[in-house]
Amino acid sequence: MADKRGLDGRILRRIVGYLMPYKHWVLLAFVLVMVAAFVGPVRPKLVQLAIDDYIVPNDLTGIHVIILLLLGAAVVEAVLGFINAYFTQWIGQSAIYDVRVRVYRHIQRQPLGFFDRTPIGRLITRTTSDVESLSDVLSAGVVLIMGDLFRLVFITAFMFSLDWVLAIVTLCAMPFMLWVTNWFKRSVRAEYRQVRKQVARLNAFLQEHITGMKIVQLFGREKEEIKAFVKINDHHRSAHLKTVFYHSLFWPAVDILATSTIGLVLWVGGIRALAGGLTVGVLIAFVQYARQFFQPIRNLSNQFNTLQSAMAGAERIFDVLDRDYSLREPSGPIPADVIEGHIEFRGVWFSYSEEPDWVLRDVSFTITPGQTVAIVGATGSGKTTIISLLLRFYDIQKGQILLDGRDICTYRLGYLRWRIGLVLQDAFLFSGSVERNISLGHPDVTLDQVRRAAESIGANEFIERLPGGYQHDVHERGKSLSHGQRQLLSFIRVLVYDPDLLVLDEATSSVDTETEHTIQRALGKLLKNRTSLIIAHRLSTIRHADMILVLHKGKLRQRGTHDELIAQDGLYHTLYALQYKHQEVAAAA
Amino acid sequence: MRPLARTLHYFVDYQRLFVPGLLYTVIGAGFTIAVPVVVRQAVDSIPRFVTLFRQFEGSEVQGQLFADFFWVLLLFGLVVAGLSILSGYCTFLMRQTVVVASRHIEFDLRNRLFSHLQTLSRDFYLKSATGDLITRCTSDIEQVRRYIGPAVMYITRTVVIIVVAIVAMFLISPTLALYALLPMPFLTVAVFYVSKYIHIRSEQLQRQYSKLTSRVHEALTGIRVLKAYTREEGEAKAFEKESALYKERMLGFAIVDAAFRPLFVLVVAVSEILVVWIGGGLVAEGAITIGNIAEYIIYVALMTWPAATVGMVVTMVQRASASMERITEVLDQEPAVCDGAQTNTGIRAIRGAVSFEDVSFRYEGDDAWALRHVSFDIPAGSTLAIVGRTGSGKTTLIEHVVRLLDPTQGTVRVDGHDVRTLPLGMLREAVGFVPQDVFLFSDTVGGNIAFGRTGAAQPDIETAAYEAELLDNVQDFPAGFDTQVGERGVALSGGQKQRTTIARSLIRESQILILDDALSSVDSKTEHRILGHLRRRFGRQTLVIVSHRISTVQDADLILVLEQGRVTQRGTHESLTAVDGLYSRLYRRQQLEAELEAL
Repeated sequence: MADKRGLDGRILRRIVGYLMPYKHWVLLAFVLVMVAAFVGPVRPKLVQLAIDDYIVPNDLTGIHVIILLLLGAAVVEAVLGFINAYFTQWIGQSAIYDVRVRVYRHIQRQPLGFFDRTPIGRLITRTTSDVESLSDVLSAGVVLIMGDLFRLVFITAFMFSLDWVLAIVTLCAMPFMLWVTNWFKRSVRAEYRQVRKQVARLNAFLQEHITGMKIVQLFGREKEEIKAFVKINDHHRSAHLKTVFYHSLFWPAVDILATSTIGLVLWVGGIRALAGGLTVGVLIAFVQYARQFFQPIRNLSNQFNTLQSAMAGAERIFDVLDRDYSLREPSGPIPADVIEGHIEFRGVWFSYSEEPDWVLRDVSFTITPGQTVAIVGATGSGKTTIISLLLRFYDIQKGQILLDGRDICTYRLGYLRWRIGLVLQDAFLFSGSVERNISLGHPDVTLDQVRRAAESIGANEFIERLPGGYQHDVHERGKSLSHGQRQLLSFIRVLVYDPDLLVLDEATSSVDTETEHTIQRALGKLLKNRTSLIIAHRLSTIRHADMILVLHKGKLRQRGTHDELIAQDGLYHTLYALQYKHQEVAAAA
Repeated sequence: MRPLARTLHYFVDYQRLFVPGLLYTVIGAGFTIAVPVVVRQAVDSIPRFVTLFRQFEGSEVQGQLFADFFWVLLLFGLVVAGLSILSGYCTFLMRQTVVVASRHIEFDLRNRLFSHLQTLSRDFYLKSATGDLITRCTSDIEQVRRYIGPAVMYITRTVVIIVVAIVAMFLISPTLALYALLPMPFLTVAVFYVSKYIHIRSEQLQRQYSKLTSRVHEALTGIRVLKAYTREEGEAKAFEKESALYKERMLGFAIVDAAFRPLFVLVVAVSEILVVWIGGGLVAEGAITIGNIAEYIIYVALMTWPAATVGMVVTMVQRASASMERITEVLDQEPAVCDGAQTNTGIRAIRGAVSFEDVSFRYEGDDAWALRHVSFDIPAGSTLAIVGRTGSGKTTLIEHVVRLLDPTQGTVRVDGHDVRTLPLGMLREAVGFVPQDVFLFSDTVGGNIAFGRTGAAQPDIETAAYEAELLDNVQDFPAGFDTQVGERGVALSGGQKQRTTIARSLIRESQILILDDALSSVDSKTEHRILGHLRRRFGRQTLVIVSHRISTVQDADLILVLEQGRVTQRGTHESLTAVDGLYSRLYRRQQLEAELEAL
């Protein structure tokens, strides 16, 4: 328990830390809240003056001054209330913006291995709803808690300035109040924990059953599953009903204490009036103070609840921020403008997991500038891994990958990837226009460049045929385009970015002849004067390659040109028969 | 507001809670209102006591008088305390009825929504995001609950207190009451405008939030491309822009929200000032007493809090209305595949003959055809195999058998009946379907297998596990069939998971068994053994196998080769290997692949 509280303190301090950039504004907010806290209790005091000095003596001349002061106080209170509410929101939302952007950038910086392991849904929750849960604490929380504390202090001060005996009488309720609040906090905390547990169960059930609805329906399990759901829903309700019970006790208890205090004030105040020295006005003022006094206390216990729920969200966010897997980057010199394109893999061993479950074993090869190299191999032989490693999506465990004679780890990641153009087998498209998908939102890429690149490979025709042309919205995942068209878009992307190296994972699926023709032409243009590494699925590609690397079960088994390799009776021979020979038949037909 | 009309019947359903609940609210508010009356009496009598007390200055009576006043004042105090206890007790009962009722309604509404979701078919799930549906089942329902419970409670209490306070004020002095209530019309106008803005702005806020979420979703899904083209910075900037816009929307909402409360407090304060000012004059005229002013001040103060909560309540109701709209959207969704007038309830059993008569299908009106003119006919108890490339329409074809999809043209028949006339429950009862994507529930291995047949006994589970070649694996687990599957449980291998889904279907002992590429993660030896177990069911069970592997399908009675939704070849393994075509090419490839594997 003590541990838990210590942890909460740390998390809270960290949350508050996000307000540091706005500390001057927070300070200003404090001042404003303080002024508001002062103005609030002024009004009962003024009413007391009006009654004792003007109404009781039955002499209303000059009461206008008091009335104007009252009006002024009310207006100031309202205006300050407005400014405070907005201003604290402004501070809070600015801090929230910082947190959100920070979380997003942190996540985006992680290497691909991180995304392989972590469900995207969870990462989305971190940047959206978890960040949102901090909002109450960062905006209203801190400032309001201070404001309520100030208000308590000011009200107490005013009460003592009016009549110290009645002030003490009013404060008598304090210990009871604290005891009740404490009792409530303690009982409700355990129930809240239960509620959170049940909410998580409900969410998990929903997530699973909505995802697996097809299975539920196929197996005709609707009756059983709704039964299970009703049970979980019932537990969820029971957990809530328990907190409802404590709330039902707590809020009336606070009211009873507040109103009973008024009773006490009347009794003691009446007696004091008999003894002399207490005016009716003061008595009326105290009746108001007794009411005002309990409002901040109620607010404070409310704030405590928000704090609790924010804590859970903060914990999850910090959990993400505290684990940084991002690849180390050199801070050294900026590399040369142009990469020649000399690639060397030197005894590379690689495994996706911690265990030595090798995907690549001792792979070595060299590519000289301007060469076109094809990688061939059966599914799972490690072809895709090689290109992922060249782009440094993952770091290798043993060996070295050199680019122009320098370890790729000594290049800045951004620069390395900037100079390598990647075309994936299944071209991923973002929702948005064709133009955006080609330029990827790069500010230096103009529509004109995009158009010229498309024309140069003859892809402009199909784009212009689309409704809206270059502004055609391709929808999520490019659903509205065919496979071949998507591939063409990523070719144009490479042409526009004009990298020194090309890394290409050829598409396996067949496309219509027209698109196929365009793709062939585009490929010729892309490969010209550029060092290229291709996972080959097309016969023409392997035929034209300067070198073919034959990969089998993570090992480099053969290398050479097509003619050299086909002459040997080895792995390539079988692979060729398996993957490429039928294309020969198709081409002939 | 209109969507909320859909929740009205709940108030009737739970009248046993709402009727006493509202009664407690009214009584409680009555006790609350009584407090100022007592306070006024006390404040009015104190000066009289003082005057009386002073008259007997020095005499013995004064001591007696002091004792009397002491008790009278104590009585006032106790009455106030007593009233507060009574009102507190009523508040307790009110919360225990109205808030409890709202939780019951939440429970009912959620059950209703979920059971409706269970009736909805594939097309609905294809176009809905899981996260969005979960939100509707959780936070949207919570918003509606808040309106039903707390908001109803606040509204009732506010109305009662305001009405009683206004009546009491008029009884004391109509003039003063009119002055005190003078600012109130402004309040009404303000509520009207402010709530309108809150509705608009909260809608904008919600829309931007969903935009932000989609942006993150897409960026993280396409992270490989972003990283490859080093567009991280640009994407982060775009995200910052959306975030900034969200912040702006949030502040746009905040400015209206922030104005709400001070506005109410100001109106009430002006009312209080008028009481002192005008009331002071009335006291001077002798029309009212000073105690009346104290009473008025408490009335006005009593109205402060309800007035301030009006803002809160308006926001609650607006949000509830928006959420109910989202819930209703789902509830109004008609399931595309369900029993209806055409259903022939007379059909009680199925033997398992399957035929397609010129079936064509497309997902949406202007999509390409996923199936074109597919026809075949297999008798009960035989084996049908479907081969073809990815995207050739194999899954689409078999999903027609269980009515996950209904044909756009043509007819699918089981035992000669159009499947659309078969009771859906019975049809699915007669089919064991193993889908391509492995999906298991977070339950034990045994629980996941028993999912296939309600009330399955342990021996049944073991037999099914045996037939799916899973039994040996399960026996190696320390917890056996009680091993947990899923995030918190043991990580099952892909093959083990797939065989669990097979066992789940085998336990059904159904008339038709469909395997949709369900042996892809299983090595060829295990596959061979599983097929051996299935062969023993030959004649009793119609088997439909979709596969890439020739070895899986070569014993089938009928093999269909699918290309771009069309059946391009049909026959047995022998007849198909004899001619040149996709099938014989696939067969040769796989022979080579086997050779390659051996290298």
